[in-house]
Amino acid sequence: MTAEHATAVEQPKKRVKHEGPKKHIIAYIFSLVLTILAFATVITGEVSVNFVYVMLVLMAGVQVFIQMAFWMHMKDRGHLFPIIGILSGVIIVFTMIIMAVYWAWW
Amino acid sequence: MSGHSHADGVLPHEPEKATLEGRNKVLGFWLFLGGETVLFGTLFSVFIALRDQVNGGPTANELFSLTIVAIATLILLTSSLTSVFAIQAMHRNEPKAMVGWLLVTVLFGLAFLGLEIYEFVEYAHEGHTFAASAFSTSFYTLVGFHGGHVAFGILWISLLIWQVLRRGLTVVTAPKIYIAGLYWHFIDVVWVFIFTVVYLMGKVG
Repeated sequence: MTAEHATAVEQPKKRVKHEGPKKHIIAYIFSLVLTILAFATVITGEVSVNFVYVMLVLMAGVQVFIQMAFWMHMKDRGHLFPIIGILSGVIIVFTMIIMAVYWAWW
Repeated sequence: MSGHSHADGVLPHEPEKATLEGRNKVLGFWLFLGGETVLFGTLFSVFIALRDQVNGGPTANELFSLTIVAIATLILLTSSLTSVFAIQAMHRNEPKAMVGWLLVTVLFGLAFLGLEIYEFVEYAHEGHTFAASAFSTSFYTLVGFHGGHVAFGILWISLLIWQVLRRGLTVVTAPKIYIAGLYWHFIDVVWVFIFTVVYLMGKVG
């Protein structure tokens, strides 16, 4: 009974229009540009170590946001629980990273 | 077993969400990814704390070759895009195209893994072995765990390709493909932080 219920197929009411590859290719190009910028900052930039650190973390953060929103569909509807699931992990991670940086570098 | 007769019928739109079992798999996988985030976060915090403890061995700046890292990054980023194409082919109900894109993804994954093994062997020749220093141990644990995830992903997606070729694209197999795609993106997301924190910040000093 339960197994049958679990595999019961529900057709959506309306025909779903399938998205094209366009915005995923745009997400790819954005990720690529951010990656190249990050490498270029390190190879060419002799600015200041702290400035480079902040830039690198910012660019990584933006790239991860783009990939999670578009490629992992987190921007789509019905993703509240996935966001809660991954966010609970991220909160613990930030606590640990801040602790490690504080203990080791200050 | 009416559930399985559905499996042979017309594939619904977004087949990964068409059954309760499929939706539960996707939700459960997100909770798993939350746990994976904690795993990698722990390894990152250990690496950040210990990365200057080189014990007389080579430092990150002396050791790392950015060319190999850049190529590996490009490979993994592109494989993330090809796995998106696989999911889109699944949504269009084109199993052949989906399998094709999954195969491309697996091949990129193998290339990435080969490059990482080559890199590790080079480092070991320069005295950067697992037990050489706190830096080397935390480096190999973090980057090696990521490489292990890539290896597992290659194995997993290969088995899924085999299953789809045998059983076809159904409401039973579709959620598996979808969460394997999520897993592959997550691996790429972790790599973004690895090339930033480990390699680029290691080069800066």
